Amino acid sequence: MAIDWPTTPLDVINRDPLVVRNPKTWSHHHSYGGWGKFFLGLRERKILATRCTNAACAEKRMWLPPRCQCPDCWRDMEWVEAPREGRIFTWSVVKYPGELFKLPAGTPLISVELDGVCTKLMSWLKQADGDAGGSPTPKIGLRVRAVFNTDRPTNTILDLAWVPL
Amino acid sequence: MIRFGPGNLRIPRFERPVYIVAGGLTDYRKRYPEKNTCQLCVEALRMAVEENDLKVEPEVFRRMVNWCVYSQFADHFGDQLLAAAKVHDYLGFDPLGNIEVKTGGATGGSAVLAAAQAVASGYASCVPVIGWERMDEVSTKVGNSYIASAACKDFESELGWMYASYYALMAQRYQFENNVPRETLARIACKNHDYARYSPYSQNPGQYTIDDILNNEIVSHPLSYLECCVMSVGAAVLIVADEETAFKLTDHPVRLSAICGGTHTLRTADRRHMPILLLPHESQETYRHYFEGERRDWPGFSSFLASRMAAYLAYNMAGIKNPLDDFDLLETHDAFTISDVQTYEDIGLRPYGKGREFIESGDAYFEGRLPTNLSGGLIGTMHAVGATGIFQLVEILWQIQNQWDKFHADPKRWERYGKTKPADFRSLQVKNARRGCAISHAGTGSHVTCAIMEKA
Ligand SMILES: [Zn+2]
Repeated sequence: MAIDWPTTPLDVINRDPLVVRNPKTWSHHHSYGGWGKFFLGLRERKILATRCTNAACAEKRMWLPPRCQCPDCWRDMEWVEAPREGRIFTWSVVKYPGELFKLPAGTPLISVELDGVCTKLMSWLKQADGDAGGSPTPKIGLRVRAVFNTDRPTNTILDLAWVPL
Repeated sequence: MIRFGPGNLRIPRFERPVYIVAGGLTDYRKRYPEKNTCQLCVEALRMAVEENDLKVEPEVFRRMVNWCVYSQFADHFGDQLLAAAKVHDYLGFDPLGNIEVKTGGATGGSAVLAAAQAVASGYASCVPVIGWERMDEVSTKVGNSYIASAACKDFESELGWMYASYYALMAQRYQFENNVPRETLARIACKNHDYARYSPYSQNPGQYTIDDILNNEIVSHPLSYLECCVMSVGAAVLIVADEETAFKLTDHPVRLSAICGGTHTLRTADRRHMPILLLPHESQETYRHYFEGERRDWPGFSSFLASRMAAYLAYNMAGIKNPLDDFDLLETHDAFTISDVQTYEDIGLRPYGKGREFIESGDAYFEGRLPTNLSGGLIGTMHAVGATGIFQLVEILWQIQNQWDKFHADPKRWERYGKTKPADFRSLQVKNARRGCAISHAGTGSHVTCAIMEKA
């Protein structure tokens, strides 16, 4: 028996030179692994960071984003709660986001400085004055507090945001 | 790593000298449906082998090759895993060995580093380095998402899916700490778009005023479209060889006196502070007043430890005492205007905090003290990512060989790409160019290479 020709053509975008549309529709099952604890913690309004407990390790800084292992001694670190208030270290308003952005263009992005934390967590400012996509309100040094997307979490870093104190 | 041990700062050395003998480019376009990746690579290779006045016929050259290095940033963009195997076959180099290198935006620089290591160790004597990127399979918005997958996908990419934003965050902090006038950043964009006007290969040439740049649409505060690199399709090729092979191929090879790499965290956020790693012309005194005002620590958010590390190793390897005195031209990875100012400091053109002076003084311009990105750079000419670091070295090669005019000024070359040579064309050949430097850069400074080429 003859096998039929396939019935799902690639659409022709341009005839000469020939360009065809190649669709992609599948998903990835992404494992957060040990970092999953952080994302689950956001549902309980906790910002979970990590710290090395190895007495022989010179470094005792608090890491956020958390790392399960210490970069200086490779031993397991302990989970600790990071402060939920901090200051804007730097900011930008993204006017032209990439394709997968789940928030509107004009959302202010911020890096947050938290006491005792050795990193400057990248996050976003949930409350901005002005019209949609309008003038940016963030300011370096502005005091902010964390807010959490607990109702319908996206299970991404976007479940944590900040508002002015 | 924030404290160095004795092995960490070992200065690399080549066991035998490494030379660059030829280079080839395609033109660079936003979309290039007329030619597939394999065709673009052949085009760049043919220019390298057939248009650089080599002393041997292409067929003889082919029989001298013994190893190949391929350079492509993202399988996502080309949508072809193992693309290097396809290109290697298309170029007719099977069954010679090859390796494909990937270090983000610094892929081109790292590929040349890999070729240099092969030649310097004696593993190979004649190595084509072939780089390309095909960024036109997807829309610009999807392209930006792909590029943002080279940020941390767990903790960063979701925040904008846009690399320009991650640079914008650094830009705001840099300006806050160092009080750089917005106009200074804009001048870098004006300069590189302008130099791109004299390149037949360029994708985004233009004559802009500072106001044009500042009033241009914002991508992510404070960066405007004209301050961001282009997304390109195109290829570039560099031929790396040992001394014997180099002089068999040409009477004018250029010595690759150093090429070194450094790295830093993928997430800008995770950069712990440490003492400033000093270049040969700096001392503790240089930074006596650095940590006053808003600057609290180094490298902080606005310095690239990876660039400083690469420059530290390369300068010591090549015996560079002061880059401003010792280099005649420079190609930086001007992905964004802000990253250029940061880089000026990392590679020691000015002390940290004073990078703006390199532009404001006029040093960075043609006929200035250290002309920078005469190629038009990533902002004006191209960023076909896997080709970029190679393209930079091809342009420096032609400058040092005094061949810039041949490859840029001939009207036929413009016609080849369907362009007309501009009526106000001017030569950007640097007089007596003897030594040049190129910085290839990835991420928000995740990988950087520093290459130094000099007249043999
Ligand atoms: Zn530790």
